[in-house]
Parts: sequence; C-alpha cells; structure tokens
Amino acid sequence: MQATDSRDAIIKIQSVSKRYRAVNALSDFSLEIPRGTIYGLIGPNGAGKTTLLRILAALIAPSAGQVWFEDEEVSKAPAVIQRKVGYMPDFFGVYPDLTSAEYLEFYAGIHGIPRQKRARIIADLLELVELTSKRDALVETLSRGMKQRLCLARALVHDPEILLLDEPASGLDPRARVELRELVRTLQGMGKTIIVSSHILLEMAEMCTDVAIIQKGRLVVSGDVDRVSHRLGDGRQLEIRVLEAGRVPAAVELLKAMPDISNVTNGDGNLIQAEFVGNDEVLHRILVDLITGGIPVISFAPRSGGGRLEEVFMSITEGSSPS
Amino acid sequence: MTFLALLTKELRLRMRRERTIWVIIVYILLMGLLGWFFIGRFTDYNGFYNSNGLSDTGVSLYVLLSMVQLLLIVFITPAFTATTVNGEKERQTYDLLLCSRLSAFSLVSGKLAAGLMNALLLIAASVPLFSLVFFFGGISPGQVLSALVVYLATALVVGTFGLFCSTVFSRPAVSTAIAYMAGVIWLIIPLMGIAIDFIWASVRPASSPNQFPFILVWNPVEALISTYPTSYGGGLAVTLGHLKVAPWLLYTLLDVLATIVFFTLSTWTVKPGLPGNLLLWGRGEMRRGESETPAA
Repeated sequence: MQATDSRDAIIKIQSVSKRYRAVNALSDFSLEIPRGTIYGLIGPNGAGKTTLLRILAALIAPSAGQVWFEDEEVSKAPAVIQRKVGYMPDFFGVYPDLTSAEYLEFYAGIHGIPRQKRARIIADLLELVELTSKRDALVETLSRGMKQRLCLARALVHDPEILLLDEPASGLDPRARVELRELVRTLQGMGKTIIVSSHILLEMAEMCTDVAIIQKGRLVVSGDVDRVSHRLGDGRQLEIRVLEAGRVPAAVELLKAMPDISNVTNGDGNLIQAEFVGNDEVLHRILVDLITGGIPVISFAPRSGGGRLEEVFMSITEGSSPS
Repeated sequence: MTFLALLTKELRLRMRRERTIWVIIVYILLMGLLGWFFIGRFTDYNGFYNSNGLSDTGVSLYVLLSMVQLLLIVFITPAFTATTVNGEKERQTYDLLLCSRLSAFSLVSGKLAAGLMNALLLIAASVPLFSLVFFFGGISPGQVLSALVVYLATALVVGTFGLFCSTVFSRPAVSTAIAYMAGVIWLIIPLMGIAIDFIWASVRPASSPNQFPFILVWNPVEALISTYPTSYGGGLAVTLGHLKVAPWLLYTLLDVLATIVFFTLSTWTVKPGLPGNLLLWGRGEMRRGESETPAA
C-alpha cells in the first residue's frame, strides 16, 4: 500500500520483482522515494530489503520491472547510477592494512576523481565523519563505530546524490548510533536523499522522514513516519494522568465527547488512555478542552512515534522479528 | 586512472604483508643454497682447474638454477593471482568495486599487474645469483635473455590463468587448488607423453632424431631447455612448413595467445553487464558477485 505523494520523486521503483531460483525476494514492488528524504526500509529477516538496495545500487538486475533514477533507467545506465549513488552494505568491507586516508584515496581513485582533488576531498570527509585524528591509523585499529563512519565517508567519496545504507547502525553502541544518526541528518541537510534499512525501529522513527514496511518481498505500507505510525487503528495513543483518581470519570466523559478521541479507557488509578486522530494542533486543543473543563491534568503524553511504529510493524508482520 | 588506483592499493597491501618478505627471503635462500651445494659437489667430482672444467661448472650451475627458477615461477605465481578476485568477495569488498567506475578491463589488468609484479620481484631478486654463472663462463648473455623471456611469458600465462580461476570459483582455496592442478598437468603431461614416445622410439628406428617433438611446443621446461647450449639439449628448432622457429620463441607466442584468452574470459566473468554473464542471467537470473541465497 503506497500513499499518494505529491513530492518530487528522485527514485521510482515500478513493479519490481526479483527471483532467486525458487525464492521470490521481491514481488511486484512499487515505491516512489521523494528527493531529500531519509527513507527507512523496515522488514523482518528475508523481507527483501537488501535485495532492493542492491537493485538500486545496480549490483543486481531485477527479474521484472524497472527502477528509474529521475530520467535514467537503472539497467540501461549503470554508469550514471554509479555516479549518483553511494552504497554502504551491511558489512564493513575494509582493507585492514590500509590507513584511513589510503582507504578513501583508493575509492576516490576508482571513482575517477582526479589526483589533485583527492587530498582535499579526503580531508573534508574525514572531518565530516570526525576521523581526522585517525587519518594515518590502520583501518584494522579503528573501533566498529569508527569503521562504520569510515565506510560512510567511503560511500560519499564521489559526492553522490543518493545514499543507500544497509543496516548502518547494526552492532554499534548507543553513542555510536547517536553519532551516526546525527551524521545522516547532516547529510540530509546537505541535500542528499538517504535510503536506510535498520532493525532498530525506534532509531528509524527518530531518524527517518519516511518509511516503507516490507514483508515477504511485498510493500505493506509506506509514507511519512507519522502517517505510517497512525495507520493502525487510525490514531495515536495518548496517556493522561489527573491529580486524583476521583476526577477520572469526569475526564473520561469529557474525552468521550470529543470528536477526535476514541477508545477511552481508565488505566491504573489516575491514568486514562485514549486514541486520537490528528496532528499536534488537535492534541493541543484536547489539552485546552480538558483544562477549561476543570480537569486537573498533571501529565499529558502522546506516545512516541517509535513505539507506535513498533506496534504497527508487529501488527502488520504478525510478530515477525525485524531484521 | 582507476587502473593506477587499484594497482597502488594492491601493491601497498601486498608489500605490507609479512608473507611477501618471507617469500623473497626463502626464495633467494633456496636458490643460493642450491647453487652453493652444487658448486661444492661438482668441484669434488670434476674440479675446475682448467678452462673446460670452469665452463662446464658454469653451464651446469646455470641449468640447475634456471630450471629451479622456472619451477618456482610456475608454482609461486598462482599464489599471487589465484585468490585476487574471489579474495575481494571473501573480504566483502567486491560489491564496492562493482559500484565504482572501475571497468572490468581495469579491474582484471590491475589485479594481474600487481600479481605479476610480485613474480617479477622474485625474478629480479635472483639476478645476482645468476651473475655467478658468468664468473664461470659457458653461457652467453643471449641465452640468459631468451631464458628471461621464457620466465616472463610463463609468469604471464600462469598468473592470468590463476586470475581467471579466481573470477570463476568463489572460494579462494578452490581457485588456488585448480590453478596448481592445471599447472602440474600443463608441466607434467607433455613430458610424460614424450617419455612414453622415447621408450617406444627405442624399440623402433628413429625417423628424425633432431626434430623438436611437437607435443612439447607449449611446455615451459622444453622451452627453457631449448635456450641452453646444444650439449645440454638446446639448439633444436620447430619446423612450421618451410619455417624453422626456436621452440622458446614459439612457446612465448603461444603463452601470449593463451594470456589474451584467459584475460578476455576474466573480464567477461568479473563484472555485471558483460556478455560472459548472459549464461548466468539465463540460468538463474544472476549477475556475477550475486549470492545464490536471497538477501534479507
């Protein structure tokens, strides 16, 4: 299910299927990826996320269907795609006996960047990924997080418009994950379109502007994070605490009367749970109506997108573990 | 430009490996010790206190060292090239090469050049040992140069075949084993054939005793022997119609042709989008480097 999107699509995936002997990795998969977004691909093991990223990187050909990068069809112009796309697979792919600078210099060379420009580009990239101090360190001596950042710098060496990141946060400690997330946002700020797959749903909700949930090679749902998060039950979860348990019935009555509220339940003690449809302005109006209705609200908390996204994911994929 | 980037990276990686230094040390030590023991043994039996004895020692030493060097080239060169492409797959860097602007030609030629440079380094490192031969005499510079051409041609064809194996077989151990097996077959089978023929000839009258056996025109051992002085088996010619060609020259030509064939096959199998992959597409809709198991 793909929502209609009026934004300028930089990538159009049209009815793409990919078959590996008896296995359908992707089936009639269509998706449009708007320019300048951080697009998350979510799905359980074997859903087809990596296959999709490898097709986008022109590493494998689809069995059927087409992929368009603006006006270029991937299978007909792989050289153009290689210029436009930076691919970071879900493994490090490093040469341990090279230094960080030599590693980047090699990839700059095989991307056809003139020798005189390489030193500047390498210095800028090392600064971007905060590895300037590790310029002359052998890659094998870098930590996992540093290697991941170096690989990201490697994917950026030819200044691609589109970045494909396959499980970039996999195996990273929380600090390295935050640094990576900030780095990805910085890259988005530089005008790049980033397609990322990850198994950390909260991370995806916080990092991505849009997500697509994939299961068994098929697109289940796609769109911006809020829209996808709201899909299940057509509402967002809301938790309200009032000063005294005795004021709960009045608050429940008031909430039930509101048009944007549904499924109001009395939780533990002074806790009320409900679902609401709408944006933050609707949320603000609900709070104002409660206060003006004389309800002593002490806590008013819409559930985070990440938790909600996880619920959507678990519901759609029938409990399959994300990969 | 992409070729140079790949070559620089390969040479950096190879020269930083401890193994490279040890291979050179062991190689030179082996050759040196062989020469040392040989001179000792030869002088015990023959002595070289007259000019004939000296030149005999020189030629015999040259024959021993040059033959050992040839065998070492045949069996060491595949080690430099037979894991070079599938090694990238094993290191999980192959996809990253395919995503770059590196052409199939640059990829194969860069890998081959780096592997051959290692072999050339061994040949160059052994040159001082061969200078010992000139001290004794009996061998002309022309003979040494023609032997050098045989070495280079052998390293080229063996290296290219090793590289081809590394593009065809996904596991480095398999490609190395196949490259070595092919090397042994290439070296031994024609020699066995000629040995059988020799035994057969001993029971029937020889028709043309000075003719070079055609089965050995693409055999490195026989090509090298053909560069030796006449008393050591050299000087024979291969007759092609009215033309008489030195066997080592014909061998070099065949090596170059085989190198072109293996090189072309390697470029076909190494990168997606090339004709060599049509078979793979037709069979399993796969491209080179693509796993048979579906990705997540």
